[in-house]
Amino acid sequence: MGSKEVGRRDFLKYGISLVGTGVLGSQLVYPLDPVYAQTEKKGKIKDPIRIGAQATLSGPFGGYGQFMKMGAQLAVDEINSSGGILGSKVEIEFRDEELKPDVAAKNARYFVDDWGADFLTGLDASSSALGVGAIMGELDRVLIVTHGATEKLTENLVYKQGIKQIFRISVPVYQDGIAAAIVAKDFPAKRWVTIGADYEYGHTAWNFFKATLKKLRPDVEFVEEAWAKFLTSDFGAHITKVMAANPDGIYSTQWAGEAVTLIKQAKLFGVFDKIQTWMTPMGAAMDVLEGLGKEYPEKAWVTCRYWFQYPDTPENKAFVARFYKRWNKYPHYVSETTYSAIYAIKAAVEKAGTLSTPEVIKALEGMTLMTPAGKRYIRPEDHQAVYQVPWGRITHNPEYPFPTLTDLKVIPAEEYFRKPPFVEA
Amino acid sequence: MRTFLFQGLVGLSEAMYLWMVAAGLSLIFGVLRVLNFAHGSLYMLGAYLTFYFFGLLGHNFWLGLVIGPVFVAGIGLLMERFFLRLVYRLEVAYQLLLTFAFVLIFNDLVKLIWGPIYQAPPMPPGLDSSLSILGQAYPLYNLFIILVGPLIALGLWFLLEKTRWGRLIVASASDREMASALGVNVPRLYTWVFMLGAWLAALGGALSIPIRPVSPGMGEIIIIEAFIVAVIGGLGSLKGAFIGAILIGLLHVYGVFYVPVFEMALAFILMAVVLILRPWGLFGTREA
Repeated sequence: MGSKEVGRRDFLKYGISLVGTGVLGSQLVYPLDPVYAQTEKKGKIKDPIRIGAQATLSGPFGGYGQFMKMGAQLAVDEINSSGGILGSKVEIEFRDEELKPDVAAKNARYFVDDWGADFLTGLDASSSALGVGAIMGELDRVLIVTHGATEKLTENLVYKQGIKQIFRISVPVYQDGIAAAIVAKDFPAKRWVTIGADYEYGHTAWNFFKATLKKLRPDVEFVEEAWAKFLTSDFGAHITKVMAANPDGIYSTQWAGEAVTLIKQAKLFGVFDKIQTWMTPMGAAMDVLEGLGKEYPEKAWVTCRYWFQYPDTPENKAFVARFYKRWNKYPHYVSETTYSAIYAIKAAVEKAGTLSTPEVIKALEGMTLMTPAGKRYIRPEDHQAVYQVPWGRITHNPEYPFPTLTDLKVIPAEEYFRKPPFVEA
Repeated sequence: MRTFLFQGLVGLSEAMYLWMVAAGLSLIFGVLRVLNFAHGSLYMLGAYLTFYFFGLLGHNFWLGLVIGPVFVAGIGLLMERFFLRLVYRLEVAYQLLLTFAFVLIFNDLVKLIWGPIYQAPPMPPGLDSSLSILGQAYPLYNLFIILVGPLIALGLWFLLEKTRWGRLIVASASDREMASALGVNVPRLYTWVFMLGAWLAALGGALSIPIRPVSPGMGEIIIIEAFIVAVIGGLGSLKGAFIGAILIGLLHVYGVFYVPVFEMALAFILMAVVLILRPWGLFGTREA
């Protein structure tokens, strides 16, 4: 019970500071571009405007879906209660992508062909994002991915194959692999191993990590790999396998409930007494912080795709306060990315003045948005939103009912985002 | 060599959950001749109900461990009395359909009651540390599981071989009509066996909660493995289920270590080989 009161006090603290800045009631995500093509009323373009969203809604990864829904709902309610998009209400529906590309593609077809979706958003697994991305040209709606992180989505599908309907508002695997290596280069650890998520995301993140770290620190070695399929419940075999190689550092790409299970089991196998550093890119996700609680080792370095304490802007504080007020929880990164994606749709439609896909694409390309996570610039070449998210070390802070981050490492996005023409790593 | 042995120890603890599920599956098949596809769901219910009672009874893991599986045995009673009993004489396809329906119902029920998100209950106090074995830290809880597994095997052996009730079960399994003619209440015996099987699966699920995530769908993964175990060991043979579980557990761990790309396929390959060379399983009896 004590923890809850801390949260409330904290909320009050935020609330008071925000009433002062006057930002509490205003729109938190808005375009920073000076010129607007058209905003005059020409009658409603379509009512309601429908957004089909997908997330993983059940099982060990289900926490993500719940948090994504909360962010989406908050954005939709805010927009609808303040006049909608050009006077039209917004309607959103969620479907479970089940971490399966074929299910995700089927959902996307249902949304567009049967439900009448004008936009698609969400998608947790990289593989699902690729599955839906591949058919976006055919479906011809704008898709804004809010989590799935593989670089292939924007580098290959958008930049190389020209499927312009795809956008991504969340940081890609550059955060998980390249930024991780820039942080790891300052650690004494020389012998690195991975316990990896055995699918697109885990392999691509580890490859970026290895390639970048080797360049920055030629003395490091990558000595062992253990790959675990989705829904692994015992990581004992993987833990003992990598520990047999005497690592200094473990880089692990498990996320959501699997990260919780893995870290719990690694503790029991005495891993944290032996190694110097543990890195889990998606370890700062709210459901992992809540899941591990006091058991989260302070040797763990983690990040995510939006950290609720960064940046220190009125927009971000107001977002955290509003989210807390609505859900009695602090926002997960997928809450913020999906919240911002829906506002990006609003900004693009208002700029284009139409729902026509080519026009909306044109409006989004090159747009700079103010969002809770900071300024996001949507690169016209690959449709990737550029902004930075810090890495940090786990610490147990009595002010929050979950562990938070300390020793924040903020690397400017320009330093770790790959740039067109995306030559091999 | 040390790593090899240590890995074996890791595999053994994984095998024990599998054993408990496969034991019930095999026992029910051996006596009732029903392939209970919902057996993994009983494992899941065991985990959820134990977690539920753990929370309800002042966070006492041991109390939850006693009550949860007994509760699931009660669910087993209802399943057998009111549903399975109706399909004993029908084709196998009906049994599979019925038990598969239970898989779907239990999964949705769990989502409805406890939500779709995983739960991660804490370790019981006293077992939350590790021991140094072969120069490496080994979780005390895993060691506890490795001890519990054989104890259950011993208990089952005693029950079936040394008690009157057990001998009645063995008798009905080999000749239902004869047992019935000799005055054995076969339907009631079937209910008891189904409850025992359900209890075993639920106990496996209950014991898994401190270390594995509790989530909907956890039953579907283990039922496939348990089925492989039962087939390898011989459907109906408890000895086979025990040895089969250990084989699959070790195969998984050494698979991750030595042939990572291939690890998923190993269990299926072993099952295929057994089916070709000894279709009735390693310890099963050849059907006439």
